Amino acid sequence: MQLPDTHLPNTLFERSATAAFVLDQSGSFQRVTDGMAQLLGYPPAQLPGTRLLAYLSPETEALGTQHLAQAVAGTIVRYQASLAPPAGPLSLELHLLPQLDAAGQVVAIQGLAQPLAAAKALLERERQLTVLFDNIADVTFVLDVEAEGRYRFLFTNKAFEKTTGLPGSAVVGRYVEEIIPEPSLSLILPKYAQAVRSLQRVVWQETTVYPTGQVTGEVSVMAVCDASGRCCQLVGVVHDLTKEKQVEEALRLSNERFRYAIQATSDAIYDWNVATNDVYWGEGFTSLFGYQMPHNPVPFQKWADGVHPADNERVVGGLLQVARVGAVSAWQEEYRFRRADGSWANVLDRGYLLRNTQGKVVRMLGAMQDVTERQQAAERQHLLMQRLALQNADLQQFTHIISHNLRAPLANARGCANLLPLLDYAAPAFGETLQHLRASLWQLDEVLTDVNQVLSIRDAQDGYRPEPVAVAAVCRQALLGLQAPLRASGGQVTSTIPEALHLPGSRAHFHSIFHNLLSNAIKYRSDERALHVDVAAAQDATGHTQLTFRDNGLGFDQPQGPDDIFQLYQRLHPSKAGRGIGLFLVKAHVEAMGGHISVRSRVQEGTEFTITFRSAGNENVFD
Amino acid sequence: MKTYLIDDDNLAIFLAEHLIRVEKFSTAVHSFQSAQEALAALLVPGEELPQVIFLDLNMPAMNGWQFLDALVPHQATLRGHCHIYILTSSLALRDLEKSTRYELVTGLIHKPLDRTELRAIKAQLAPVEDNN
Repeated sequence: MQLPDTHLPNTLFERSATAAFVLDQSGSFQRVTDGMAQLLGYPPAQLPGTRLLAYLSPETEALGTQHLAQAVAGTIVRYQASLAPPAGPLSLELHLLPQLDAAGQVVAIQGLAQPLAAAKALLERERQLTVLFDNIADVTFVLDVEAEGRYRFLFTNKAFEKTTGLPGSAVVGRYVEEIIPEPSLSLILPKYAQAVRSLQRVVWQETTVYPTGQVTGEVSVMAVCDASGRCCQLVGVVHDLTKEKQVEEALRLSNERFRYAIQATSDAIYDWNVATNDVYWGEGFTSLFGYQMPHNPVPFQKWADGVHPADNERVVGGLLQVARVGAVSAWQEEYRFRRADGSWANVLDRGYLLRNTQGKVVRMLGAMQDVTERQQAAERQHLLMQRLALQNADLQQFTHIISHNLRAPLANARGCANLLPLLDYAAPAFGETLQHLRASLWQLDEVLTDVNQVLSIRDAQDGYRPEPVAVAAVCRQALLGLQAPLRASGGQVTSTIPEALHLPGSRAHFHSIFHNLLSNAIKYRSDERALHVDVAAAQDATGHTQLTFRDNGLGFDQPQGPDDIFQLYQRLHPSKAGRGIGLFLVKAHVEAMGGHISVRSRVQEGTEFTITFRSAGNENVFD
Repeated sequence: MKTYLIDDDNLAIFLAEHLIRVEKFSTAVHSFQSAQEALAALLVPGEELPQVIFLDLNMPAMNGWQFLDALVPHQATLRGHCHIYILTSSLALRDLEKSTRYELVTGLIHKPLDRTELRAIKAQLAPVEDNN
């Protein structure tokens, strides 16, 4: 078979990847390109001489025949056909171009075959992009840049609709000023213009009120250029920051609240990281305990070292024990904590243990509270209460005793007055009764004098200011006043009180104490032995001073408790003269100076009084 | 009739003794300045019991209450024969309440003792004397 002249360079045509071919007037291939052979699925050499229509699907044969006839008749034909197997089914677009000779006769038909799959893929690609855009959470839109400042929506995604409440159908085709309200519009137009001019990505943050709520977003617009390098489209993306902003704001507020709370409390807040064994200390450690903290957090050991040695094992050991093996989440202890200046603060420490899912302690947050003042106040109050209760009991007893001791001579006086009219004026009983009446009235007056004396001790306490009293000298002076009865008794008083001993108190009080105790010792001496009184002073380990008065006199039983002897008008030796006020005064004077008196006695052996004064600095807590 | 006076106060005893004499309340008055002495005298076997005891409360060593407590074991012997009147200068109500707990205590009199009181006691005791 002879090849007609097709004006096409031989091999160049055959090697082309484009699917092209040349048909004769009967529709058989004269020449095919490699691309065409590949499309049909046959070796190139087999194809010449075979009919094009044989490779197409039979259904389209009638149409194919018709189009071929048109081409042979000299018309350019373009139609779609479908390839049969093995290559097919595959849609093709066929172009048939009649080739004319010089006489205008069709000598051959040149053809191009273009698989429609490429177009399909394009469509598929577009569909996939739409799905992609619609599934992006960020608002995405494309604007057509028509002229300076004229932007028309070309595309919006689902997120756009979700956020703005505007469906794509309501937006696409409209200008931005029709869609975006003020004041956002005035903000964005310069940004768009900037993107158009600079061809750069422009990013900014804005907060816009949409029908669905307020949205804070990061907006970016990118310029898309055409072949001439001019910006023809803008692609915009709004990344919704609302949630992040809300979280950020909540966090900021919460931090602020926490900071103010820390400032408001006077507690020392801490955060112990168990893994690093560091403790983050709050400002309270400076304000409460005076610690400067150039480095924070500080090692756990620094806190542990601050705990008082006596509390250390209980507190630090206890905490570590709880952290290691316990299951509780709360820990609380009271202990002494060293201030920066070395003094001790009483601390109430409450911690919360944070445990991981395995129950292991990972952190502890807590607060140390300085309760020193509160504890001291409570102690003072407790002491005050005790004193008041004691004083009240004293007063009650005093009132009771006074009423009895006023009543007794008064009753006697009345008895005398009743008896007198019944007696014979001349009888000796009359004069005796009259004398008794006088004595009773005198006794009544004496009781009132006693009351006055006792009350004056209490009154004096208001303005009482202790002064150092040389006790040994006062003792000597009191003895001097008792020289006569002492000599008469044949007794002896030995004082070993050091001359240097000075006790804070009142000289007059000390004099009364020595006078009463020594005169009692003389009065209640035993007739069976010579009286010996030993007066001594001693200081014990705690710095307390004790004065002791030991005699070898009558002594007494202590059936109703040792303190009965100090009661007003309590008398143990009815055979001896006495009113029973001496020891009451001694006790009142001792207590007025913050001391305490006690007594031990055995009948026929003797009596020992012990007066204890607390060490200086401890006395008079109310000053 | 025999009367005991128990009081550490001399004057109180003086007054009671004279009033008893003036009122012819009792033929024999025995006065004790301590309760222990009175207790000892009271418990001497074969001794005639006093029909009336005037007992002071506020006394050293052994007070009136302790005296009454010491008598509790002898109640059976004393009951019906011995009438104890507490004679005190105290006006405390507590003492009156406490006195009712002692079976042997017939009454409580506030000092000073007077004629009206003595006559009332005598009248109370009269039927007893008749029975004798």
